[in-house]
Amino acid sequence: MLVLRDLQKQYTKFRLGYLWTLLEPLGMSIVLWFVFSVLLGARALGLQPYLLFLSLAILPWWWFTKGVAASTRVFRRAGGQLRISLLPTELWVLRVLLVSMVEFLLSLPVVLIAMLVTGTWPGPLILLFPVAIVLQFLLMYGLSLLISAGSVVIPDLARIVRIVLRALFYLSPVLYSISNIPQQLQGVAALNPLVGVLGLYRIGFWPEEIESAAGYGISLALCLVILVVGIIVFRRIEPRILKEA
Amino acid sequence: MARQDLTRDLDAALAFESAGVRMPRRRRRRGDGRRQRLRRIAGEVRRDEVWRLRDATFSVAEGESVAIVGGKGSGREALLRLAAGTLVPDEGSVRRRLGVVPMIDVARSLVRGYTVRQNIYLVGGLLGMTPDDAGRQIESIAAFAGVESILDKYLGAAPPLVRQRLAWSITMATGSRAFAIEQTLIVGDRDFRQRCWTRVDEMRDDGVTFLLASDSPKQFRRFCDRAILLDNGHVVAQTSVPEALSMLRESRRRSSEPEPDDPDSTTDL
Repeated sequence: MLVLRDLQKQYTKFRLGYLWTLLEPLGMSIVLWFVFSVLLGARALGLQPYLLFLSLAILPWWWFTKGVAASTRVFRRAGGQLRISLLPTELWVLRVLLVSMVEFLLSLPVVLIAMLVTGTWPGPLILLFPVAIVLQFLLMYGLSLLISAGSVVIPDLARIVRIVLRALFYLSPVLYSISNIPQQLQGVAALNPLVGVLGLYRIGFWPEEIESAAGYGISLALCLVILVVGIIVFRRIEPRILKEA
Repeated sequence: MARQDLTRDLDAALAFESAGVRMPRRRRRRGDGRRQRLRRIAGEVRRDEVWRLRDATFSVAEGESVAIVGGKGSGREALLRLAAGTLVPDEGSVRRRLGVVPMIDVARSLVRGYTVRQNIYLVGGLLGMTPDDAGRQIESIAAFAGVESILDKYLGAAPPLVRQRLAWSITMATGSRAFAIEQTLIVGDRDFRQRCWTRVDEMRDDGVTFLLASDSPKQFRRFCDRAILLDNGHVVAQTSVPEALSMLRESRRRSSEPEPDDPDSTTDL
């Protein structure tokens, strides 16, 4: 649809800097790997090889933050266009989500680089990788609907979201693995839907992690709940959004 | 959710039934925002909204051209946006049998960073054209707007007049059977205006429906079959165009201020 066209156009602006989509997360992974693995020598943290382990979670994490952060601004940026648009309002949300997703997909070669460097290759469970992408997409779509609609009603939401995202970075198994968490807390951690999603990204390389399957189940179900809630809330707030346009 | 739910068996092109909509009052941003919020929390001010349009009941037959007469802040834009479905009524209902294309400051939706061609796709798409449609018509749109030579140049540098011409051409190319037009039915220089009139007259003869809100009595007289007079969000009268215009003049004379409404609403229209 037209949104895709629109997306392409947005992307032509960045294409010059495509290399950056690769370099940015790669650099980030290396820095974190250096700090945690070399400097601190924290063998207990995460799984080996740590570089690969990191890059597998950092890319989806970035997609997540960028998409969610952008969704707080969607309708302010749309401005006058909403006033004449006969297209469904959700498309605006979907559009920023797709843009961030394309960036994510384009940055995936970083994982390949990490695989080459560490000489680690995935097992058959890597087939769950696309599943993880789809799930994250659904989760983010639900969240974006919620947040974009919410930030029309509460303008301060953008700030709140930024803080929550930062906290979530440490609450999610990006730097560490779910198995690093004390047994008692693993149930609580499963309430974070990202736990399941990030777990699925990694499962192809560390199949032994599948033990916590029940935990994944919970967070996956949560993704769907958020999606449904997002859709419902968005429907209710839609008239408000149009008024503010 | 699709914006325009069409009612196929409606006997008019468009029907408002005691429709009303509340709009947030345009706040002077920043400034006393914090105090306002405090007061809202304290329950003094419930919500900073005003009724932009209330209890509007009327219908428009297919092929009619209706003038929406009223001063600034009388709810013209709200009415047009309700008609096009880019606003949802808070009470009452708006039903339409035809898809209504909103022509409300379309030029503002053009994106400077896109080429003219991309803008045609974008704005055409917003107004309900499919990419195929837009692609097929791109030549004729550009020709009408006189922008063939800059079709693949960025719009950024183009003067406002060109933007308006482009916006106009795209809107008319949607091939819709009904339009809700705010302010600028006819734009551009003399030559372009002439072509606009010709085109619009053709469309009227063809039975296309128009809702026109404007400040120009000339356009109303030239163009509209009848008028709906709005005052402060209420439909005051549905009469002939000359009568509505004289009523408007009358009410302006009565109220001492030339602009009879709250100053906040000026940006709204």
